[in-house]
Amino acid sequence: MKTQPKVLTFLTILSVVLFLGALGMVFLFAPIEAVMGYVQKIFYFHISNAWVGMLGFMVAAVSGIFYLVSKDLKWDIVELSAVEISLVFFLIAIVSGSIWAKPTWGTYWTWDARLTTAAILEMIYLAYLLLRQGIEDPERRARFSAVYTLIGVISVPITFLSIHIWQTIHPAVIGVGSSSSQGSFGMTPAMLITMFFCLTTFSVVFITLLWYRIRLGQLAEQVDQLKYKIMQ
Amino acid sequence: MQKQTAINRPSSTYLKVIGAIVWKDLVAELRSRELLSAMLLFALLVILIFNFAIDLQPDLRITITAGVLWVTFAFAGTLGLNRSMAVEKDRGCLDGLLLAPVDRSAIYFGKALSNLAFMLIVAMIVLPIYSILYNINVLNPGLLLVVILGSTGYAAIGTLLSSMAIQTRTRDVLLPVLLFPVIVPVLLAAVKASGGFLQNLPVNEIWPWLNILIAYDVIFTAVAFMVFEFVVEE
Amino acid sequence: MIPYAVSIKYMLVGYTAIFLVMAIYMVSLFVRWRRFKRDLQTFKELENQP
Repeated sequence: MKTQPKVLTFLTILSVVLFLGALGMVFLFAPIEAVMGYVQKIFYFHISNAWVGMLGFMVAAVSGIFYLVSKDLKWDIVELSAVEISLVFFLIAIVSGSIWAKPTWGTYWTWDARLTTAAILEMIYLAYLLLRQGIEDPERRARFSAVYTLIGVISVPITFLSIHIWQTIHPAVIGVGSSSSQGSFGMTPAMLITMFFCLTTFSVVFITLLWYRIRLGQLAEQVDQLKYKIMQ
Repeated sequence: MQKQTAINRPSSTYLKVIGAIVWKDLVAELRSRELLSAMLLFALLVILIFNFAIDLQPDLRITITAGVLWVTFAFAGTLGLNRSMAVEKDRGCLDGLLLAPVDRSAIYFGKALSNLAFMLIVAMIVLPIYSILYNINVLNPGLLLVVILGSTGYAAIGTLLSSMAIQTRTRDVLLPVLLFPVIVPVLLAAVKASGGFLQNLPVNEIWPWLNILIAYDVIFTAVAFMVFEFVVEE
Repeated sequence: MIPYAVSIKYMLVGYTAIFLVMAIYMVSLFVRWRRFKRDLQTFKELENQP
């Protein structure tokens, strides 16, 4: 395996620095929100993770298309890495969101459009991994994964839209502090700056982790090929 | 010789292949009745279980009926999709079809149409039985329209996904896992539209749901048509 | 108005959860990397043997 390229080392250090910086911004710089208090601070990381999770899905879909067109298995590795990392980041978003929701809305979960679609997206990621597990042949696995990613990426917006329409016609009956008040706190300039900083941080972290995961995938492929050669 | 025919009259050969597949499936099913009996029995059992799981009291029934029906169709549909594809694969029919000098998508349309046919046949039997058992008239033309639209979307994406699932190790288990997250818009819209027709809501309230169903059907039939090639190439 | 104690508690739980999941993932990346490296080593040896 090639030694770690310098750019990656640089990105890793940058990620760590930005991450620490983000923590500093959130806890030392950002003001305390009037109504929710300290728990609002979860939002900075929550939204950043959600954003990165969705970005990752786009990366996966595009990689899938590149694979189907070029048949180059390196795109399959990129796609798998993007899905796996998005799965983790989106999981963090869902978990942190739920924890934020409990004191704010009085419940860990509501079935509004955003959360329901988030849950479905997470399930699509998991289904993707399950699909890959059931296929031995790398070429077929890559093909099927790419097709499923495409199907997923097309169905998710439609899903969101349908649930949203469902909600506007029948507003969610949840109780006090329903989801309709999500994000209704006004963001002061300091909060906005913190938010942008966190978004940038997590984007960099995403790229860094994606690179590491791709390298892992390449190593796995190397091992597989060698194993196959020996077993001949 | 055969190639020449395909090049000279591509559209008629294409349609012939589709027709041939649908005919083959229907005739085979007529003889063995394995698929339909399994789907039908399963659907009726699900409805029976619903009777105990959800207290289907008369006043509740109207609101719940749509949901119960579509859950039933979704699960029975999975059964049908699995078996339909498994038969092709296990008996080597799929390989045979792939050798035909015609665009692969014809195979997709053929299978999708026969899957749709089976789903509709099951629905046509289940609906009257539901009406009798729960004393609700579900033989509503609006509802039938929704059943057709919903089943079309389900069969369109289901046929594609079952073609993939059947080629994996985990086969039957995999299809519902792959299918259900992406079929949510269909189920949601179908339940809402069905409920709307059963409750005699004005058409303009039901229209958004029908729109979603039609849009989904068109989009995913197109997508499946384009990517089916990738799913069955050897 | 969310009481101060409750607010702080949930914030800490939230951030703990975030760090925990991130840490678990990065550890898993590291563990898998090491395992593949070892496998590669083993296979290279097997290749040179017979």
